[in-house]
Amino acid sequence: MRPARTPGQASGAPHAAHGAAHGAARDAAITTAFWAALHAEALKARRSRVPWLTGAAILLAPVVGGLFMFILQDPARARAWGLLGAKAQLAAGVADWPTYWGLLTQATAVGGQLLFSFLAAWVFGREFADGTVKELLALPTPRTAVVVAKFVVVAAWGAALAALVCLGGLAIGAALELPGWAVVPPGRAVAEVLAIAGLTLALTPPIALLASAGRGYLAPLGWALLMLVLAQVLAATGWGAYFPWSVPALLSGLAGPRAGQLGAHSFLVLAAASLAGFAGTVAWWHGADHGR
Amino acid sequence: MDPAVETHALSKRYRAVQAVDEVTLRVDPGEVYGFLGLNGAGKTTTIRALLGMIRPTGGTVHLLGERVGGGGRGPWRRVGHLVETATAYPELTVHENLEIARRLYHVTDPAATGRALERFGLAPQASRRAGALSLGTRQRLALARALLHDPALVILDEPTNGLDPAGVREVRELLRALAHERGVAVFMSSHLLAEVDQLATRIGILRAGRLVEELDVADLERLRARRLAVDARDREAARAVLAADGYVGIVTAPDGSLALSDPRALAAPDEVARQLVAGGAPPTRLAVVQESLEAYFLARVGGRA
Repeated sequence: MRPARTPGQASGAPHAAHGAAHGAARDAAITTAFWAALHAEALKARRSRVPWLTGAAILLAPVVGGLFMFILQDPARARAWGLLGAKAQLAAGVADWPTYWGLLTQATAVGGQLLFSFLAAWVFGREFADGTVKELLALPTPRTAVVVAKFVVVAAWGAALAALVCLGGLAIGAALELPGWAVVPPGRAVAEVLAIAGLTLALTPPIALLASAGRGYLAPLGWALLMLVLAQVLAATGWGAYFPWSVPALLSGLAGPRAGQLGAHSFLVLAAASLAGFAGTVAWWHGADHGR
Repeated sequence: MDPAVETHALSKRYRAVQAVDEVTLRVDPGEVYGFLGLNGAGKTTTIRALLGMIRPTGGTVHLLGERVGGGGRGPWRRVGHLVETATAYPELTVHENLEIARRLYHVTDPAATGRALERFGLAPQASRRAGALSLGTRQRLALARALLHDPALVILDEPTNGLDPAGVREVRELLRALAHERGVAVFMSSHLLAEVDQLATRIGILRAGRLVEELDVADLERLRARRLAVDARDREAARAVLAADGYVGIVTAPDGSLALSDPRALAAPDEVARQLVAGGAPPTRLAVVQESLEAYFLARVGGRA
C-alpha cells in the first residue's frame, strides 16, 4: 500500500528514503521469487529423463554425419567393414570438413526445431499433464517468475544441446582427419551452429503458449510438425524468408541458393513470432481460467 | 481482526452454466468451515475462485483482509491450499517436492521442510520418488505442502481423500489443533460428512451454485430432527398404549419398530417407559436418536436419502 500524503506534506528526503527502501525490498522479493522458481524448474528438468533423451537424440547428428564422412572417405573400406551394401552408393558428397559441418548445421535447424519444441512442450505441458499447475498459481512467487524461469530452463537446455552438437562434431571431425578446416575454421563453425540453434530456440515461445492453452503435449507437438512441413513447403516455393519457421533452415543452407533471400525482414518476423509467443504465454498464465 | 475468508456475491458463469451463484460467506480466524454440496454443486469452482485460479464473473473475494485479484494477486504467503486430487512432481523425491514448495513460499528457514516431513509422518519416505507413493501418502505430502509455511488460512478440497482411518483421525486432530490452538482458519470441503460433523464449527451447504444454508454447529444441533426410537416385543400393543396416552407423531420405522417425534416424549423418555410398562407392553429398546448430518444435508440438497 502506498503511504497517503497529507496536504502540504513536503516530499522530503525521509519520504524518498522510505520509497527507496520499499523499492529495494520489492526488488529483493522479485529476485527471491525468480531464483526460487528457477531452482524448482532446474530441479524438475535435472531429475527427469528428458535431458538424457534429448542429448542422445541431438548426438545422432554428429554421429550419423560422421558415419557418412567415414564411408565417403573410402567406400571400399566401408564395404569391407559391412557399413555399406555391396551395390549401394551414397548421394554425391565429399568427405571434408565444410561438407560435414554443413550437414550439422542443417540437422540443427531441422532436428533442433523438433527437439526444442519437444523440450518446451515438456517444460510447460507437463504441469497440465501431471496436474501440478494448480500448485504454481496461488503462490507468493508470481506467475510471471514461474513462466520466465521455465523459458530460461528451455534456453539453457537448448544451448547445452547445441554445445553438444559442436563438441561432438569437432571431436568426430578431428578424429576422421577431415580436410578443409581452413575453409570453415572451428570458431566460425561453432558460431554458425549456435546462431541457428538460437534462432530455432527463439521459436519455442509459441510452443509454450500452445502447451499451456492446450493443457498438455498434443497441441504443441502437432504444431511443431505442422510448422516443419510448412517451413519446407514455403522455403521451396520462395516464401520462406517471410515465414519464421523457415528462417533457421534457410540460414543453414538447407534450401540451397534461396538462403540469399534472407534479410532483416526475415529476422523481424521471427522475433515477432517469438515475442508474441512469450507475451501470449505470460498473459495466458495470468489471465486464463485455471478450472482444471 | 479481518475475516480469513470473505466473499460478496461471488459468481462464476461458464456460458450457459451458472457454476457459482452469488455466494456470500465469511470465515473468521480459528473457525473450521465445512463446505458441503453434491458433486457438481460448485464447491471446487468456489475454492478455485477463492484461490484466484479462476476469474469470477461477479462479486469479490477477500482473504485475510486482502483482495484476491486477477493475475494471481493475493496474500498467498499466508494461505495454504489443496485443490482436488493430491499431485506432486513424480520424478522428485518427497523431500525435493517439499523443498521446492518451501522456496516458492519464500520460507527462509531450511528446517521447515524437515518439520513438515515429521509432522505428517513422511520422514521414512523422504527419499522416495513421489511417483511411487500410494494415494494416501501422496495426500499426506499434499497436506504437508499446504501447511509447510505455517499459513493463517488453509483452504482444503477433500483433505482426507485416500487416507486410511488412522490418517483421517490424524488429519482431523491436526486441523482441530491448528484452529483451536493457533487460530488458523480452515475452509474445507468434504464428502465425509461424519468428518465435517466432528470438526467443523460452521457449515455451508451449496446447491446448484447457491449457498442454500449456512449455520453454526450449535444451530445445527438444534435444527437436526430428533425422535424417540421405541421397540417392544408386542409392537402393536406398544403403539396402542402410546396412542391412548395421547402421544402424537408415532411412525413405524423400516424395521417395524416405532419412532416418536412428539416433543413430550423427547423431553421425558422415562415417562414413556413407565407408561409402556403400566400398559403391559414393556419396551425392549428406548433411545433418543438425532438425525445425522448426512440426512440433514440430503434433505437440504434434495439428494437420494
